[in-house]
Amino acid sequence: RPPRFPFPSSPSVSPAADPAVISPQDPTLLIGSSLVATCTVSPESHLRAEDLYWTLNGRRLPATSYTTLGPTTLSVALSRLNGSKQQSGDNLVCHSRDGGILAGSCLYVGLPPEKPVNISCWSKNMKDLTCKWAPGAEGETFLHTNYTLKYKLRWYGRDNTCQEYHAAGTYSCRIPKDLALFTPYEIWVEASNRMGVAVSDVVMLDILDVVTTDPPPDVHVSRVGDLEDQLSVRWSSPPALKDFLFQAKYQIQYRVEDSSEWKVVDDVGNQTSCRLAGLRPGTVYFVQVRCNPFGIYGSKSAGIWSDWSNPTAASTPRSERAAGGCDPKGGEQNTTLRRELKQFFGWVRKHSYGCSNLGIKLYDQWRVWLQKSHKARNQVGKDPSA
Amino acid sequence: PTGDSWGIFTFLCAALCNLPALPALNCSEELGTSQSIQKTYDLTRYLEHQLRTLAGTYLNYLGPPFNEPDFTPPRLARAERVPSATVDLDLWRGLTDNARLAANYRAYSRLLCYLRALDGQAGTAELRHRLGHFCSSLQGLVLSIAGVMSSLGYPLPAGPLGPPAPPGTPVAPNDFLKKMDDFWLLKELQTWLWRSAKDFNRLKKKVPPAVVTLRLEARGF
Repeated sequence: RPPRFPFPSSPSVSPAADPAVISPQDPTLLIGSSLVATCTVSPESHLRAEDLYWTLNGRRLPATSYTTLGPTTLSVALSRLNGSKQQSGDNLVCHSRDGGILAGSCLYVGLPPEKPVNISCWSKNMKDLTCKWAPGAEGETFLHTNYTLKYKLRWYGRDNTCQEYHAAGTYSCRIPKDLALFTPYEIWVEASNRMGVAVSDVVMLDILDVVTTDPPPDVHVSRVGDLEDQLSVRWSSPPALKDFLFQAKYQIQYRVEDSSEWKVVDDVGNQTSCRLAGLRPGTVYFVQVRCNPFGIYGSKSAGIWSDWSNPTAASTPRSERAAGGCDPKGGEQNTTLRRELKQFFGWVRKHSYGCSNLGIKLYDQWRVWLQKSHKARNQVGKDPSA
Repeated sequence: PTGDSWGIFTFLCAALCNLPALPALNCSEELGTSQSIQKTYDLTRYLEHQLRTLAGTYLNYLGPPFNEPDFTPPRLARAERVPSATVDLDLWRGLTDNARLAANYRAYSRLLCYLRALDGQAGTAELRHRLGHFCSSLQGLVLSIAGVMSSLGYPLPAGPLGPPAPPGTPVAPNDFLKKMDDFWLLKELQTWLWRSAKDFNRLKKKVPPAVVTLRLEARGF
C-alpha cells in the first residue's frame, strides 16, 4: 500500500458528525416570500445559542432578526426575499462566535418559468434545423432553468428531443439530420426549473419554408471600362442549392471605404451580375452580396436571407475632368451644359438605381453623345464667330 | 502492470521523437526524458494559470462567501477523500523521485475524477466549457507524468486510481456541503500544481539533456 501522508495541522478538521444542523436544508422559495430558519448545534460542540450568528451571502444578518428557541437552537427570520444572487443558491450560514462555519443551507429563490416565446427556426440548405427562442420572463434567470426543444412530424405520433443546444446563442438548439421535407413539423420548447414547468405554444412549419443558404461565393467587383462612376459586380449561385435555386433573390449592399452607411440594391432578381452606377469617381467601395433561396420546391414563403458575403473591394477610375482643368473660353456654353448635365444626372440616378439595363444602355448612349458634343463645342468655342 | 508501462513508453517515444515505435529501451532514453520532464513542467504551469481563471469563475458561481479572498471553511472528515497537498515540505523533499512522482500521478488521477464529477448540469455554458477544457489538460498532465516515470524506469502505481468511495455513496448529503467540497477540491488542486511545478523543476536539473546527433549517427540514419 502506498505511504500515506500526514494531514495538515490547520484548518480545523471537524469531528465526523456535522457540528450543526440547519433547517430547512436547501429549500426552494418564491420571490417575496419569508423564511424562518433554525440552526441547532450538536452536543459535542459545546456551543450554545448565544454563541451563534447568521450570514447570508457573506453578510451578517442583524441580531434583531434572531430568536433563541432553545439552549442550542437559534433561529433567524428573513422576509420579502429577493431572487437568488447566484443560480447555485444563496448561502445562508450559521457561524460560531469566532467566525467558524458550523452549517449552511442553499436558498433557491425564484419564480416558476413562463412559456418560452418567439420561437423561430431556419434550415441551412435543407440539411439541418436550428431554432431559437426567448425565455418567457426575467424571473427564470434566478434559478437554473432547463430548456428542452421538442419536435414531431405533424401526422406521426412520436416526440423527439433536440440534443445540440447553444448552437446559435444561449436559447437555441440544432437538429442536425433526418429532416423530412414536404411534411409539417410541430415544434415547442419546455422550460423547467425547481419551481415548475412551462410549455411554449406549438409552432408548425415546413422545412422548405425556412430555408437559408450560404452567402454567394466568388463575388467579383470590377470597373466598367473607363467609366468612372460605375462598377460591375458578379457572383455565383450558392453551390449547396444550385440545383434547386430556380427563383433565388439576391441583394447587394455597398459603401464607400470611409463610411459606415451601406446602400442597398434590392431589385436584383435572379441574376448573378449587376452594375452599380451613380458612384463617386476615384473612390474605393466595399460590396457584399446575399441570397434568399425562396420558392424552393414550390414553397410559397418568403425564405430567409443568407449572411452577407465577405466584403469585396474595388475602386472607380479617377475623374479625368479634374486633371484637365477648366476651359475658360467656352464659359457660357459650359453653364448651359452644366445645367443640362445636372438635369440629366438627376434623371439618370433615378433610373439607374438598381440594375435596370434599360437605364444603363441609355446612359451609355448619352455618355457617348456627350463626348462627341463636348468635342464639337470645344471646336465651336475656338471659333470666335460662334 | 509492466505491459501498460511499455505501452505508454512506446507511445511517448513515437510522439516525442517522431520515430517509428521501437521496443528497445535505448531508442530515445536520454533524448526523451529531459524533454518529457520539460513538457510536464510546462503543462503544470499552464494548468496553474488555467486554474486561476477557472477557480475564479467557479467560486463566483458558488457565491459569497466562497469567492471571498480569505475564505477558509472547515475541512470536514468526509472531504478528506480529496488528496491533500498541504504536507510537511521537508518530509516531501526527503522522498525519492519515484515516490514523489507516484504521489503526483495518483493525486492528479483522483483529482481528475472529482473534477469530472463537478455538477455538469448547473452553471453557465461558459463554466462547463472551461471545466471541460481544464479536465482535458489535466488528463494530459496525468499521461505526461506517466511518461516521465516510464522513461526513468519507474513502474506506474498499481491499483484503482479513482475515488475510493463505492459507487452508491452520495456525493454530499446537502448542497451547501457540496459547495464546500467543491471549494476544497479547487484549493487542493491549486496547491498540488504549485508544488508539482517545483518538483519537475528540480527533476529537470537532475536529468542531463541528451546529445541528439550522436544517437542518430549510431543508428545509421
